Formats: sequence, C-alpha cells, structure tokens
Amino acid sequence: MSNNFFEVSNVDFIAGGETKVRNVSFKIQKEGDIVCLLGPSGIGKTTILRTIAGLQKIKNGDIKLKNKIISSKDINVEPENRNISLAFQENSLFPHYTVEKNILLGAEKNKGKRNQQLSLKQIVDLLDITEILNHYPHQISAGEAQRASLARSLLTQPDLLLLDEPLSNVDQNFKEEIQVKLKHILKSLKITTIIVTHDSYEAFYLGSKCGIILNHELKQFDDPYKVYHLPNSIEVVNFLNRGALIPAKISSPKSLESEELGTITGNFTKPLPNGTNVKLLLQPDDLQHDDKSNLKLEVVDIKFRGTSFIYTLKTPNNMLLPILVHSHHIHQHEIGDKFGIKRPIHIEHVVCF
Amino acid sequence: MTKKLNIWFLLSLLISVIVCIPILTVFISFFENTSNYYEILKETFLIEYILNSFTLLVSVLIFTLILGTGTAYLVSFFKFPLSNFFKWALILSFAVPPYIYAYSLTAFFDNYGTAFTILTNLFGEGNYNKNIPKFDGMIGAILSMTFSLFAYVYILSRASFLYQSQNLIDLGKNLGFSKFQSFYNIILPGARPAIIAGLSLVAMETLAEFGAVDFFSINTLTTGIYNSWIAFDDLAFANRIASFLLLFIFSLFIIENLSRKKAKYHFNIKGGFKQKEKLELNGYKSFCAFIFCFFVFFMSFLFPLSQMLYWTIKFPENLFDLQVVTLLLNTLYLALLSSLVLIIFSLISNYGNRVSNNKALNIMSTLSISGYAIPGVILAVAFITFIAWFDNQIIKSLGFLSIKKIFIGSVLGLVIVYFIRFYSLAFNGIKSGYEKINIAVDESAYLLGYSKRKTFMNIHVPYLRNSLLFIIILISLEIIRELPITLILRPFNFETFATTAYISASEDLLEAAAVPSLFLILIASIFIIIASKYILRETNE
Repeated sequence: MSNNFFEVSNVDFIAGGETKVRNVSFKIQKEGDIVCLLGPSGIGKTTILRTIAGLQKIKNGDIKLKNKIISSKDINVEPENRNISLAFQENSLFPHYTVEKNILLGAEKNKGKRNQQLSLKQIVDLLDITEILNHYPHQISAGEAQRASLARSLLTQPDLLLLDEPLSNVDQNFKEEIQVKLKHILKSLKITTIIVTHDSYEAFYLGSKCGIILNHELKQFDDPYKVYHLPNSIEVVNFLNRGALIPAKISSPKSLESEELGTITGNFTKPLPNGTNVKLLLQPDDLQHDDKSNLKLEVVDIKFRGTSFIYTLKTPNNMLLPILVHSHHIHQHEIGDKFGIKRPIHIEHVVCF
Repeated sequence: MTKKLNIWFLLSLLISVIVCIPILTVFISFFENTSNYYEILKETFLIEYILNSFTLLVSVLIFTLILGTGTAYLVSFFKFPLSNFFKWALILSFAVPPYIYAYSLTAFFDNYGTAFTILTNLFGEGNYNKNIPKFDGMIGAILSMTFSLFAYVYILSRASFLYQSQNLIDLGKNLGFSKFQSFYNIILPGARPAIIAGLSLVAMETLAEFGAVDFFSINTLTTGIYNSWIAFDDLAFANRIASFLLLFIFSLFIIENLSRKKAKYHFNIKGGFKQKEKLELNGYKSFCAFIFCFFVFFMSFLFPLSQMLYWTIKFPENLFDLQVVTLLLNTLYLALLSSLVLIIFSLISNYGNRVSNNKALNIMSTLSISGYAIPGVILAVAFITFIAWFDNQIIKSLGFLSIKKIFIGSVLGLVIVYFIRFYSLAFNGIKSGYEKINIAVDESAYLLGYSKRKTFMNIHVPYLRNSLLFIIILISLEIIRELPITLILRPFNFETFATTAYISASEDLLEAAAVPSLFLILIASIFIIIASKYILRETNE
C-alpha cells in the first residue's frame, strides 16, 4: 500500500456524459502540499475538482484520500461525507444569509476537528472582508464574493481543499498580497490543497507541483521549475507561451548548430545522437543582449514588463525570438533597430523536441 | 456499494404521475368511439361553435394585447399623474372573473338597468332603453374576457419592459429613432416572449371560459364540451374537442417559436444592464396617458365593483339572506387548503427534479404542468370518469366498498382536481424561484456536510419563503374565482361565493348574484394587493 496522502489513478473525468480529461494519474505525497492544475478554459479543470469533491462520478480508475478510496467505479463517498471543501469560481454563497453567517457555516462543520483552530477574525483579516461581513451576497462584488467563499472553505479546515480559480475576480493589485497570505496560511495549517488556475505565475508561486492539462490529457505533472524550464512536449511550450522553437542540428553531446544563431552550447536534458535535426526551445532568458556583438537581429516588438523588457527579434528566416533585458539596461532600442546578441550562446538547459 | 434509493426522485415521479392521469385520460379518449352526438353536431352547430370560439379568441387576443402592452409601456417608461398608482392598480382587474364582469355589463346596460336609472335621475323619465347600447352576446363576452384577462399581458410585458436596459433605448435614440420607432423596433420585439406568454395564458383562459359564455348563451367549443357530457353523456367526444383546443393552442406556440428562428430576447446582465430613467410626460401627452390608464382601470375594476356595490346597497335584503360567514369560510378553506397542498407537493417535485437531473422525470414534469391548458370542465369530468372506472374495475372487483363518495362530491376530490388544474402555477412559480439559486449553492451545502434533506429544509425553503407566499396568494386567487370545477365537484350544500353568484345569475336573479360577487371581488382584491407588493419588489421597483 502506498503512503501518499492523496492519489488519482487512471481516472477519466466526465461531465455531462462527455469525457473531459482522460486517464489522469497524479499524487500528493505529503499532507499540506499544494498542487496547481493549469490549462486553458473549458479543458476540464473544474470537472477534475468537482469529481474529487464527489459532485461527479467516475467510471474507471480510483481516487484515494488518506489511503481510502473515495471514488471508483463502484464506490462513491457522498460529498458531505468526504471532508473535502471546494471553493467555487462563481458565487456559491447562500443568498439568504449574510457574509458572516455564510463564513461561520464553514466553521460549524469542523468544530474541534483540528488542534490548530483558525478564527473568523484571522481569516477575515487575511482576506480583507471585514467591511462586508454584514452584507448579503447580492450586495457585494464578484471579487468579494470569491474571497468570502474562500474564507468559508478555509474555515472548514478540510482534509483536502479545492480552489477553483480562487482569485480570478480579485483586483490585480490585491492579488499578489492575497497569494502571499494564502500560501502562508495553507502551509502553516498544513491544509492540502489543489488549485485550478489559468494564471501560470499564480500556479508557479503557490504550487509545490504543477499539472498542465492540454488536449484532454494531463501532459505534465512536475515541480514548477521543471514545468517552466524542462517542458516535456511542444504543447506545454506553446501553452506556457514563453519561448520559441527554432530548427537546429545536434553537433556534439554539448552543442548544436542553428542556421539562425550559429553554435549553441549547453546542458542537454536528454542525450541525442549527433546529426539529429531537432527543434530547440529558446526562452526569453536564454539569450543575452550585447551591443558589441556582430550577431544582430531586427527588433519587431517591445513589451515593457516593469522590471524588464521583452524584445521580439526577427531572424533572417523570419523566425521570431524573445529576449529578456533588464529595464535598467543602459539604453533602449526601438522597433526596427538592430539588436546585438551575445556570443558564444550558452544555454543552461537545452530542451529539444 | 449498493446504489442508494433516491427518495426525492421517487416522490417527484409519483407526483408527476398523479397529475398526469387525468391529462392522459383526456388524450387517450381522443381515440375512443364517440356517440352520435358528433354526427348531430357536425350537421348542425359544429361550424358555429368553431367560428364563435375563433372569433372570441382572436378578438380577446387583439384587445388584451392592445390594453396589456399599452398600459405596461406607459407605466414602465413614463411618469404622468397617478402612474405609480396605476402600476399596481391595473392588476386589480384579476379580482373580477369574466362571469362577474358579464353580470355587471348586463346589469348596467340592460333594459331598465343601472344606465337607465342614471339617465332617469339626471334627465327625468324617458324612453332611454332604445338608446342604451346592449353589450350582450358575443360583444359582451369579448368585453368581459378582455377586461378580465388583459392583466396577464400587462404583468408579463411590464416585467419584461422593466428588465430592458436603458442602453438599448439610448442606442435607439442614437440611431435617430422616434419614440414610436423605439417602441416598435426595440422595446416591443425585446418583450416578445413575455407578451406571447401573456397572450397564451389569455388564449387558454378564453378557450376554457365557461361562466361568461354560458351566461351570454354563446355556443363555443367549451359549450360543446359541456353539452356532450351533460346532454349525451359522451365524455370521449368532450375530450376530443378539448384535445383539439389544446392542439390548436400548442400549434400557435410552435408557430411563434419557429418564427423567432435564432433570435435571442434576453440580455446579458454582466454586459452592462443600466436602470431605466422614466421620462416625464407633460401637456396633452400626459393627459392622454392618464386617460388611457384610467379608462382601463375604470372599466376593468371600478365599473364591475361599483355595479355590484350599487346593487348590494339597492337590494340589501340579499345581503341579509346570504350566509356570508359560511361562504367566506368555505371559500378560504378551499383556497388555502388547496394552495398549501400544491405548494408542498410542488416544492418536493421541484427539488426532486433538481437533485435527480433525470430526463424522463423532466419530460413527465413538463407533461404534468399542461393541466392548466385543459378546461376546468374537462378536468372535472375526466376525474369523475377515472374514479368511476377505478371504482368499478379495481375496487369493486377486489371486493371493497365503493370509493366514489370519498372522491366525488367531496372536498378531497375538489382539492385533487384543483391540484391538477393549478399544478403548473405552483410548479413553475417555484421553478422560477429555484432558477435564481445557483446549483453551486447546493453543492457548497453538500460540501459543508449538509444532507439533501437538510439542504432542502435549511437552505432552499428559507430562501424561497417569499416566492412561496406569493404563489399561495396566486393560487388562492385562482381558486376563489374558479367556477366549473367547484360547481361540478363540490359537496352537497357546500357553496362558495363563486358558485352562489353563478347559481343566482343562472336563475336570472342578477341582483342576488351581486352580493357574493362583491365579496368575491373584495377578497380577491385583498389577495392581489398583498401579492402586488411582491410583484413590484421582484421587478426592482
């Protein structure tokens, strides 16, 4: 018997008679870990959460919590008996109760279940909803409703907390602050959590593991660092949209040749035989700027990101490459300028497909 | 793990099946042999029946459309003297059923009637009778039904107008539309589903109307249904006519639906709903708006009320002859008992549908709410037929005592048939309340450890409290006004205001019909005033 805290094995996730995500397997080893599921809208992320919560049934595989099967073809523990809490993306507050009463219903469920109790005041302060406690759900904004719903779920202190796009309606300037507080509280209370989001930054920050769901499959389930730097498929690269794939040929165990950029050296993530034609992943931080370099490409777009610029450069073969430059770089370049790239090019992780 | 029995599903299914029995009886009778009444009718009055029904239906639909949308448009978009008062006062016309309106019309315009008395008091003795128009026969029936039923169109189109965003109206202005063009091109098409819903209710009520057409002696298909049962004991043919009526109404719905194609008529609230600003009318426009609304209010409510009041004062002996307290208790007893039963079962049925999410159950529920489209006469007769068949074929063959007396001529029988007739009101009313509760609310409750029963009792019922109260009032109102079912199925010597008024009127004692009619209008008005608060609050006013 495995000692994983939570485990999904070979499950097809179904909603409305349609298989949304096929043959999914992943596990959460330790209590208190946070897992983020990333994927485009409508791919079935919410279906996964609803199924884990017991709101949808499964026909194959099984889902285990604390080594007990809670869902399988023959077993379906009712949602009210799972001690799993789900904070919905849409407003799911009880319309005839005030926000305070709604949140307190969460506390009623798990009275005395955990040693480390979370108080209403703590949670209300954390999510900054003191002002709306006496309001009814129809009197508050979507972002406030989402935070109130999150507060209710947190107060239940479940074995497993499921958050469906928990901060999608929260203002951008407030989002990062809540992310920090949320992570702190989940970690300190050791609440095992699965978060569904389409915001990769949110997933990379909150999750100790990230799952990427594409084309009805869980494509990759790994540490955020690996998901970003070592994507396992072109689909994942395209989904994260943070790099370009350029044609190249393997010239040695430590180098490859590109028609666009010349010789590139680095550490290969998997060994490939010499002479193999590949597509090399170039991420914005793989190339470095050097005004003195004789390798110059034309600037076709500039994105200002506060602390940095991302220039999009065009190669002679009309390929577009992103390059990240610190915003305090001595001078800026304009569209149409020639932009120098430092040589020799060395990449920390060489990812080829 | 064994699959748990879903008690909510079973209860819901059971309720739908019970409600469906008489409805299915009507449809099954469609294929049964009929007596020679059909042959007689075909050669004599059938064409007349059809033509009369058609004339009545089309005229009432046109007039209710004009009065209902006209008044709704004025009170929703403009400010003029008493516009806020008319907003709810126009609903009061519901308190006057078509048959009581018919009595008032006849009482006022008849030879030596109230109009004659007024003219004599004003101008002295004279032969006024020949100059006073007579609103009887077909015209009387059309007027009675128009003024009594237009409020269906008024309420639904007004609610729809209120939800139309100011943005769309501003867009019309931006495109250079006049007020009429805006009304015709933007407002009216936007409210089309609501207006059609209102008109379809009017159509069903018109085709099912018994009291008024009987009073004016107009031969319609409803009369045909009644006659085939009373005179020829031919229920199959009665049901066949009723089925034709239903098919006719359904085909109208289908044609309307097809004509919409893929047009959408609802607005995405997230897309920026903007509250309307009412335009202040001045001068003659304000006067015209006031006169139009006042005319409709006067004709639909004040006129029948004052006529009945006048006769009650003029012939006070009728008031003392009447057992008012008994009639009041009987009327309220029937209304409240039936509405309570309806509410409880409709709540269970709705919740069963919600938690089971079963297609077959949904179809059964849809079929079961069609009882509202079946004339009360037919339902009552179908119920009697079913009980008689069940009693003869099942109960007696098993050697038990007859159960006819338990169901026919008893309060229980009345409540059951009211239940079938008005089930759609309760079911749909609760359903629309339920539609406002996001399914995520239920799921949150389960995840908070609530069972289905606890979710129902602690979350749904408290939330639906106001809707339930409103539906109770609405059903009570319908039952207070209801005539044919009560008339056919009531226990011996058990009278309500409606049956007392009808019996007096059918014996040509219109003066005696005035007192129960007046009480009926007053009780119904009280119910409407309470309900109107809910209607106005629901529409954000």
